[in-house]
Amino acid sequence: MGEDQRLRVVIVGGGTAGWMTAAALTKLLPTRCDVHLVESEAIGIVGVGEATLPHIRAFNERLGINEAEFMAATRATFKLGIEFQNWGKIGDSYIHPFGTFGRGTGEVEFHHYWARQFRDGPAPGAMGDYSMAVTMAYLNRFMLPDPDPAKLESTFSYAYQFDATLFAPFLQRVAQGLGARRTEGRIVDVELDGESGDIGAVVLESGERIDGDLFVDCSGFVSLLMGRKLEEPFEDWSHWLPCDRAVAMPCKTQTALTPFTGAIAMPAGWRWRIPLQHRTGNGYVYSSAHVSDDEARDALVAAVEGEPIAEPRVLKFKAGRRRRSWVGNCIAVGLSSGFLEPLESTSIYLIQAAISRLVELFPERNISPLDRDEFNRLIDIEYDRIRDFLILHYHATTRDDSPFWDHVRTMRVPDTLHEKMELFRRRGRVAKYREGVFLDASWIAVYIGQGIVPDGHDMRADLPSSTALANAMSALRSEIRQRAEAMPDHRAHIERYCPMAEAA
Amino acid sequence: MSGDNIRTVVVVGGGITAFSAAAALKRRIPSLEMTMIATKPAPAAIADRVITTLPSVHGFHQDIGLTDEDTIQRAGSDLRMGTLFEGWAEGSPAYVHAYGSYGVPIGGVAFHQLYLREGRAAFDRFSAAAQLARAGQVADVAEHGLQLNLPRYGEMMRAYAEHLGVNERRGEIAHVQLRSDGFIEAVGLDNGSRLTADVFVDCTGPDAQLRSKVGGPFEGWSKWLPCDRIALSEEPPVKDVISLDRASATADGWRWTASSTASSLSGHVYSSAHASGEHGGESIELRQGRWRDLFAGNCVAIGDAAVSVEPLEWTNLHLAHSQIDRLVSMMPGRDCAPAELAEFNRQCGQEADRIRDFLCLHYVCSERSEPFWKDAGTISPPPSLSHTLSLFRERGRLPYYEEETFARDSWLAVLLGQGVRPRRVDPMTDLVSPEEAERAMANIAQSAQSFHVTQPALSPPDLNPRGAR
Repeated sequence: MGEDQRLRVVIVGGGTAGWMTAAALTKLLPTRCDVHLVESEAIGIVGVGEATLPHIRAFNERLGINEAEFMAATRATFKLGIEFQNWGKIGDSYIHPFGTFGRGTGEVEFHHYWARQFRDGPAPGAMGDYSMAVTMAYLNRFMLPDPDPAKLESTFSYAYQFDATLFAPFLQRVAQGLGARRTEGRIVDVELDGESGDIGAVVLESGERIDGDLFVDCSGFVSLLMGRKLEEPFEDWSHWLPCDRAVAMPCKTQTALTPFTGAIAMPAGWRWRIPLQHRTGNGYVYSSAHVSDDEARDALVAAVEGEPIAEPRVLKFKAGRRRRSWVGNCIAVGLSSGFLEPLESTSIYLIQAAISRLVELFPERNISPLDRDEFNRLIDIEYDRIRDFLILHYHATTRDDSPFWDHVRTMRVPDTLHEKMELFRRRGRVAKYREGVFLDASWIAVYIGQGIVPDGHDMRADLPSSTALANAMSALRSEIRQRAEAMPDHRAHIERYCPMAEAA
Repeated sequence: MSGDNIRTVVVVGGGITAFSAAAALKRRIPSLEMTMIATKPAPAAIADRVITTLPSVHGFHQDIGLTDEDTIQRAGSDLRMGTLFEGWAEGSPAYVHAYGSYGVPIGGVAFHQLYLREGRAAFDRFSAAAQLARAGQVADVAEHGLQLNLPRYGEMMRAYAEHLGVNERRGEIAHVQLRSDGFIEAVGLDNGSRLTADVFVDCTGPDAQLRSKVGGPFEGWSKWLPCDRIALSEEPPVKDVISLDRASATADGWRWTASSTASSLSGHVYSSAHASGEHGGESIELRQGRWRDLFAGNCVAIGDAAVSVEPLEWTNLHLAHSQIDRLVSMMPGRDCAPAELAEFNRQCGQEADRIRDFLCLHYVCSERSEPFWKDAGTISPPPSLSHTLSLFRERGRLPYYEEETFARDSWLAVLLGQGVRPRRVDPMTDLVSPEEAERAMANIAQSAQSFHVTQPALSPPDLNPRGAR
């Protein structure tokens, strides 16, 4: 294609979103864009999303990134799911795994059999006992999944827990190796074209002016282009997701190196625990209407397991998203487009989703509204599905021990979620969709993990006699356990496969 | 609480839709007490009349425990590989819509995007199934549908339902007795008997003898699908069965011929407003559309009773099978709670609407000069089809829709077959050089072509039952 089809893409902000975008565009559309990233070292990066979803693997693969190299560089550990403690009620715990329950091969979804036995006995034990990923996680085991779908070892997937502040520099090397330019400097002005209203250039403190055809806003919460300059309205979801602050404090990894992330419910929110090779990320996500910053900080400090390696740091945010993520010639990727708390590790996923859509719908200089509208439609689906899934965690509870839990337990949820919950409550059916993240098994894990056991089940799950069912269930549980016990220890696997370089 | 399980089900209808629904429900949920009221076959029930099926028929058979030996050898079905579309777009040669893949990605880039950039040969050159079909051959390794021997297939399915324990009653529906909440209390037959059930399954064809009594909106599709009549003719079997059926555009609609070793069926689907006279054969009125809620109260409509659509692309029996599958896997409680029916209705509705879109595509992307086709060219498509068309015309992209029946390559077969070309190709195609693309495409065409040479022609009686079932 001719030179006229090369767009000057200016990426504003050099955090995880910025460098992921730069790496993907330079790798996948080398003939269509010249990538120029502007970042300022004076502005810190939020470094969200130390815990990821399995989708990140496809992103890395597409970029030709070697897994072991990437894990060593970002001091990563493997992640099989998230453990939720004290959510349905105090004392409960369950893992939302990356994987299915049961063998994943039957005509009837496994949880129907489980629900039948749960009601009729003998007690089947926790749903997690029938998940390869959950069993491995609790036993601290890890191996790569087996590609043979007949094997139980194929029924799980995995993601990473990594140091996001190291991921951006890792990608920066990739992107710059592929020709991305980087300019250091603080942006003081954004110039709009008088006629079209499109962004024409950004101006740096130094006076340098960077022109572009397409501007990708990766400036984080500030939302320098999309929010401040273009004033795209923000749809506020804080009435459903009232947490608006987080206090974070990393510590040394001195306890178990778990292949899962922890999400522990607290009186006014929840606390994360993300073990990396060298340190463990900790943070308390809370509602400032229900707890003060000081109280939250004290609660976090008291709960952290290892020796702290930084002072507690407070972040402020609001749940919701911009009405559109692509306006004119500006595309918001990451926090500049919206925020959903990291309860299900979706921050980097949302960045990745936006980048994939941008690559798939990459425009011409004369931007077609068709590309833009399709991009916005797809991003909305992602945000809305995740939103409902997060609200479920708060709403499906019997906790009444604090005003915060009273609020979320009794609040009116979106109709879309209300209908999904009602459908599951009755007969264990999950509203079906294929587009967007978190498919059936995820919803089932959270429903049942938080105490919503359906009143009925699929009639086909009545086929086996109760003896046959009990025998099959107990055999499955033992087999899963045996298979997991035969796997290597998580830390041993990391040390062999992708140990981090000695800290400098 | 969600109420008890459903215990009793009455299926009403006199064709393979009803027999299939009864057999599938009884086989897959054996605790159901099933009664089938075998009414007189409805002449306008297209799913019960058309012999041509999509490949999904095999999955339906497998799920209910029928093997190829039952459904092909014993029931006398023939294999079919695809449909040849003739004359839909002047200036474009006839094209084959077969099933399975057209090409494979090259260097991580979608095949059709590189085809759009480089391709000169017909798109169906890159489909092994289409090449087989063009050569008049069949092979059960490629995706294929069936041409049914309707009388034998119907008998087989009816006997199977009976064998599974479905009680068959004969008679015609004389009246439907509703409860005050709109549920069906009982149906009365012309022989004076009366049947009650927890759920009634209406397979009576477009008259929807039960479902229509429960009420609710019926969404008509006449502004998108311009034909309102079918003239059907059964003809003696042809000597050499071909695996490729034909759908040819005519001055006022389209006509098809499908042949099997048992019979040959042809039909003419047309618009009565544009027809110059009556077409020969048995005339069937077509009122295309669907019930907004297929399942309302305790009555669920299946097949033509639920969705009335012309046989273009052979979706009628497919829709019936798919609705039966969804009913099995989403059987509600005895109280038929709205929350449970809503998900069933959402899925069935989206599926039907997307089939409507796919059929409408054939008309809006046609290119002919007769008044019927000039009018068809001015149809303003449903929003979901407009969305698909605008993205395809702009950049060759096909957006994903939930509950889609036809895979992306089927959409491409029709779009490209009818000469629709995007304004630009995907920028990702730059990753593959013209030389690399041409080399890969030549290889793909070559292997699609050689596929039928290396596959001995199979006639159904020689077929081995497929694998372990």
